[in-house]
Amino acid sequence: MDRKSVLTDYIKKEILRNDRAKISDDQDLLSDGILDSLGILQLVAYISETFGIEIPDQDVVYENFHSITALDTYLSQ
Amino acid sequence: MEDNEVIIIGGGPAGAALGGYLSKAGIKNLIIDGANHPRKHVGESLVMSTYRVFKDLDFLEVMESERFVRKYGASWHAPNGKEFAAPFDQIEQEGIPQYYTYHVDRARFDLLLLKQAENLGSRVYQGVHVKKVLFENGRASGVRVNIGGKEMNIPSKVVIDASGRATILGNQLRLKKKDTLFDQYAVHAWFTGVDRGDGPTRNYIHIYFLPIERGWVWQIPINEAITSMGVVADKKVFRASFSDLSAYFSSSMQTNPRLQAAMREAVQITPFTPEGDYSYSMEKFVGNHWMMVGDAARFVDPIFSSGVSVALYSAKFASEQIQQAFATGDFSEAALKPYEDKLRKGVEVWYEFIRLYYKLMPLFTHFTQSPQHRLDIMRLLQGEVFERDETKVLDAMREYIQKVEASDSHLFKGHLTAVPID
Repeated sequence: MDRKSVLTDYIKKEILRNDRAKISDDQDLLSDGILDSLGILQLVAYISETFGIEIPDQDVVYENFHSITALDTYLSQ
Repeated sequence: MEDNEVIIIGGGPAGAALGGYLSKAGIKNLIIDGANHPRKHVGESLVMSTYRVFKDLDFLEVMESERFVRKYGASWHAPNGKEFAAPFDQIEQEGIPQYYTYHVDRARFDLLLLKQAENLGSRVYQGVHVKKVLFENGRASGVRVNIGGKEMNIPSKVVIDASGRATILGNQLRLKKKDTLFDQYAVHAWFTGVDRGDGPTRNYIHIYFLPIERGWVWQIPINEAITSMGVVADKKVFRASFSDLSAYFSSSMQTNPRLQAAMREAVQITPFTPEGDYSYSMEKFVGNHWMMVGDAARFVDPIFSSGVSVALYSAKFASEQIQQAFATGDFSEAALKPYEDKLRKGVEVWYEFIRLYYKLMPLFTHFTQSPQHRLDIMRLLQGEVFERDETKVLDAMREYIQKVEASDSHLFKGHLTAVPID
């Protein structure tokens, strides 16, 4: 699985707790209420465990988290 | 003549534990309580560090034989219904061979601990009201009491204020400083039929966050049938609802989905009790021939169940200081001051944690889930830490908050509250 699918999967299973939820890569996760503050923190912890990438606290900003694509782009840097 | 070497005003956990420690050390003491135990009291959940004091006072067997509910962990429920559970078995604590602490019916717990002090040698007067602390030549010299309508003086070498939130000595000497940051208020009652679930978190303490600033609800199991429920919020929120606590309470229960579900079949069995005048600290905890322990010295927000633990440890520290004073014969303020410094530092760690917690609430949940910080947070929550140097995790929380404050677009920016962290 590529990183985008891994992230999408995690958000569905662990954050929304709904396997059948539909999330597109460019959907706005924040304004659509998919990620709240706790969800974001869960995701940061998961990314660190799974990909070994530590997201610095100051990078937890809208530009990097608003969609799966944005997050993937940020993580590729 | 000073028959009583030490008079302790108040027979709650702080006073009873101090009596017990002093009796074990062979120092004669008299505990005077205005109430007749058992009497009701709020503060029903303990933290693990209380184990050591129970052990010191040969009280563990009582805790076990009385079958107080074992508390194996804590659970936090976000306003959106998400649960974050923290079992205690993940922390290894030196000298604590059990992975649980207790929830207690304070009427019974306080009575048993007071009886234990008596068993160890303390004398106990109940239903005797202390009018004031007596002073002579700039030192505390005893107390004036009312026994059956008759007033009399009882002299002693040392007077300890363990009067709890009545703060007898703090009021008398005008030492009380109200906490301007936290003007919180609580309303609580006992219920049957609360759905605590059947899983491993059944007998945890459950904290439900409400969608109002600094608002939360506690759920504490008292026994198999009875559960204590309490709402805590800023006093401003309450002010509008003083006239109808019941309506306020039930509407609060509707604001968190998990809480609402837990309360569906609940039946209230005790009247609502309000608790106000919340957080405060005394300017001094010691003076010539006097000391304050437990809530009589300081009270901080109860979010982390720290109250009884602070009371018990203040008793332990105070007894060490008093023993030293008897050894040297010096009972001056200066001689007793190390106790104050030690207790102040210890409570300050809790207080800083509480401030950081309310400053940016998502952070706490994050840290309890983070592999890097989880164990440090748990140690802190167990009342293990009385030294700020040992609590690097508070620095980590602080740094995180500073980064959010400095950033223009951090996603938690909106969660920052006005609570100052310095």
